[in-house]
Amino acid sequence: MLTVGSLSRAELTARLSGDGLVLRTGPFTNRIRSDVPPLIDSVALMYADYPVEPAGGFVDFHLELRRSGGLRRWYRSQVHFAYDGTTPFEPLPLAQAYPMLEWTMNWCVSHRAHGYLIIHAAVLEKHGRAIILPAPPGSGKSTLTAALLGHGWRLLSDEMTLVHLDDGVLVPLPRPVSLKNTSIDIIRAFRPDAVLSRPVEETTKGTIAHLKAPAGSIARAFEPARPACIVFPRWEAGAAIALDPLPKARAFMQVADNCFNYQVLGARGFTALGRLIDASDAYTFRYSSLPEAMALFERLAQGAA
Amino acid sequence: MWRLTPGQALACREWDGEAVLYNDLSGSTHLLDGAALDLLFALRDEPADAAGLAGRLADRFDAGDDDLVSLIDEMLAALAGLDLIEPC
Repeated sequence: MLTVGSLSRAELTARLSGDGLVLRTGPFTNRIRSDVPPLIDSVALMYADYPVEPAGGFVDFHLELRRSGGLRRWYRSQVHFAYDGTTPFEPLPLAQAYPMLEWTMNWCVSHRAHGYLIIHAAVLEKHGRAIILPAPPGSGKSTLTAALLGHGWRLLSDEMTLVHLDDGVLVPLPRPVSLKNTSIDIIRAFRPDAVLSRPVEETTKGTIAHLKAPAGSIARAFEPARPACIVFPRWEAGAAIALDPLPKARAFMQVADNCFNYQVLGARGFTALGRLIDASDAYTFRYSSLPEAMALFERLAQGAA
Repeated sequence: MWRLTPGQALACREWDGEAVLYNDLSGSTHLLDGAALDLLFALRDEPADAAGLAGRLADRFDAGDDDLVSLIDEMLAALAGLDLIEPC
């Protein structure tokens, strides 16, 4: 299987600046074209283990990230995103090209992949039990995810939980984990083995660095998982660890609030979410200590809260 | 008299005495308690007013000393506010 890591730098650059690099991420193929050097470096590092599809086949998402033309090329150069000839995003400073690629890939899925109920949530699996972590802002979801990945958990996704509308299984979309601000140093300290992209400062979300997805999770991207728990995390300085059951009807409403396309799907979304809630125990979870959180999640993976 | 708003299929899921219901007309999802669900299903069977519903559902409601008819009246007004039922 051809992977990004097996391409020479010259080959990778030629594909990105030519007909495109066709990258497989979970169920999707992404044709990426770009002439922005920082983006090429980050793709080489973060996507080394991902399959590259032959050019000319079916592609789900066509993404293009280009440098400004004219004077802007030399003065505060920016990166522009185009999707199928449209430009849904404002241009960003050139240094933000790689986070922009990640955001645009998320945008494509959340706006186009309506064969799934898409929850704004991380999802990880261990011992055959998948745990969904919905992500109201500031919940510390990505920090928790990055920490769990160092403790034998499989990454299905850090950002978007894909619930198949036909059979209710969780379809993996393992991609780099986005870490913000203080989370970057927390994970560097907690997981010295972690591979991180170069931090990019002054984005709309502050400083951003991405954690490389585990190779084992990428290799199992074709293998769906069964939902076991939905856990709403909240990191709180100094808080004692607490896992409290959340009544299912309330969990339903809170997950619906965290979906990208629940409204779009109408009654199909209602049915899919009902089935997910049936299959899952729901909890709110408060923590301040990552080691304590790791131990508690191990118990959840074993089927005991 | 009240009836179920035409077009409502009452797609709902109930867990532990609480329910979520998909509103076919508005596309909204509502969190309801079991009592509200009882009223909706009763109105699906046939239109009724609060007094009639109180008579039919007395054994399923635990209104204590409160006036069951006025309690049901309040619940009907709330359900009408969600476009789930309408006067007839």
